[in-house]
Amino acid sequence: MDIEKTQELPLNLGPQHPSMHGLFRMVVHLEGEKITKIEPKMGYLHRGMEKLAESRTYSQFIPYTDRLDYLASPHNNWGYVQTVEKLMGVEIPERAEYLRVIFGELARIASHQVCIASTALDLAGWTAWSYAFRDRERICDMYEMTAGSRLTVNIMRIGGICAEPPAEFWPALKSFLDDTPEMLEEYYGMFFGNEIAQGRLKSVGILSKELAENLSITGPVLRASGVNYDVRKAAPYSIYDRFDFNVPVRTGCDSYDRTIIRMDEIVESVKIIKQAVRDIPEGPIMAKVPKVIKPPVGEVYHSVENPKGELGFYIVSDGTTKPARVRIRPATFINLQMLPIVALGWKIQDIVAIFATLDAVLGEVDK
Amino acid sequence: MENKEVLRQRVEELATRVNGEVEEIIGAFILKVKAPYVIETLTAAKKFADVPCDFLHDLGGLDLVDHLEVVYQLSSLRGPQRLRVKAVVDRENPVIDSVTNIWQGANFLEREAYDMFGIKFTGHPNLKRIYLWDDFEGYPLRKDYVTEPIEVRNIVRQRIEGE
Repeated sequence: MDIEKTQELPLNLGPQHPSMHGLFRMVVHLEGEKITKIEPKMGYLHRGMEKLAESRTYSQFIPYTDRLDYLASPHNNWGYVQTVEKLMGVEIPERAEYLRVIFGELARIASHQVCIASTALDLAGWTAWSYAFRDRERICDMYEMTAGSRLTVNIMRIGGICAEPPAEFWPALKSFLDDTPEMLEEYYGMFFGNEIAQGRLKSVGILSKELAENLSITGPVLRASGVNYDVRKAAPYSIYDRFDFNVPVRTGCDSYDRTIIRMDEIVESVKIIKQAVRDIPEGPIMAKVPKVIKPPVGEVYHSVENPKGELGFYIVSDGTTKPARVRIRPATFINLQMLPIVALGWKIQDIVAIFATLDAVLGEVDK
Repeated sequence: MENKEVLRQRVEELATRVNGEVEEIIGAFILKVKAPYVIETLTAAKKFADVPCDFLHDLGGLDLVDHLEVVYQLSSLRGPQRLRVKAVVDRENPVIDSVTNIWQGANFLEREAYDMFGIKFTGHPNLKRIYLWDDFEGYPLRKDYVTEPIEVRNIVRQRIEGE
């Protein structure tokens, strides 16, 4: 007698799907509800950033980096301008460094708020979503005061930062920082403390420490698997060696820890910003850099701790005004590699949760 | 800086074994090897005593007009050591061994290098284009790739000839 077998069903999740955080498609092979194989398909948002960089001058490429991980655009600017500065050997003024740290950490908070909100939304938690997005607006307001735009901020320049924050920026920042404990309590109450959310996230999608290292995973996803690695501590760039902060590490390796670790990181970011506001000196915000940027022949690789992982830039200069090669190491593109491995055997609703906890931004994945 | 001296010693030892050249540019060690030695080099770098470069940071292609290179950025999660390995690949016949057996994380990165530079990684489990569609012609990040579509190029050419 034949044993009846469920037929394998290929299902296209995405590209136009609310839980795909952009344009991303995965072909999910299902046996009943169980996942047997996943093929991620990307490139719907591919703009050829690396090719574009070769026909633009060093300064002209800065706005393009905003469009990588567009939820934390100051960080992308920061990674790029620091790489060029390292190549040219430019020292930037103290005040600019502090302002960069303030905006970088604000971007980290904003990005993590979006991660928490969209994870909640993917698990059908509409209420929790609105709370995190409401608070993120205040960071966007602060961006707007200083740089004039809210999402793709383009705030950094080679040699410093584009503008001095206006007078109303500092009280807004202070009130935001004072309100963060209350915000986090709300997110916890609305989302992480919720029994359904915990049931959907806890023990789902286990990414072991060894696998995470082997897959080159970085950022909160790696730290939620119990590896204490943060570029800000491991190879302190900018002025991170002056601040007193911890690197949150969790050992749960599951979706819940990958999400809630971002709450811990917000706490640390607030600590850093408070210290930066306390210590910020007066002075210029731009170093004296030539109008035409012409780095010497050479190559450099530099990476920064983006909210989603390690964002690296590898620039090869041939001594002209345009780079010979700009290679971008996108953090979430590499982190995405865990998805086809980790999600195997889980149910279809779990893959949405696992994907959400990666906090993938397709602008960065597709470059 | 002791770490750096140990690393320098290890890299130089390795370089003599794999016929490589060592360079230091802006504080980073660069080890340049020929493509057939890449597996040996990376396996050895992963197991360096005291300064293991066991984390594959990044992998990308590089076009230097007369040849292609695959650039591996190695580092460690437990120390400050960083090493850049460059494998020289022939431009006409760009074939190199895949490192997916050493680091699974090279999977997407090698597919991207194949997509953009046409470098073929032998032993890769699924070497297909990752960003562009399967019947896309040419490899965009090569220096000789023409970005304008053929129609535009023809118009430009006619105008120059007509004037």
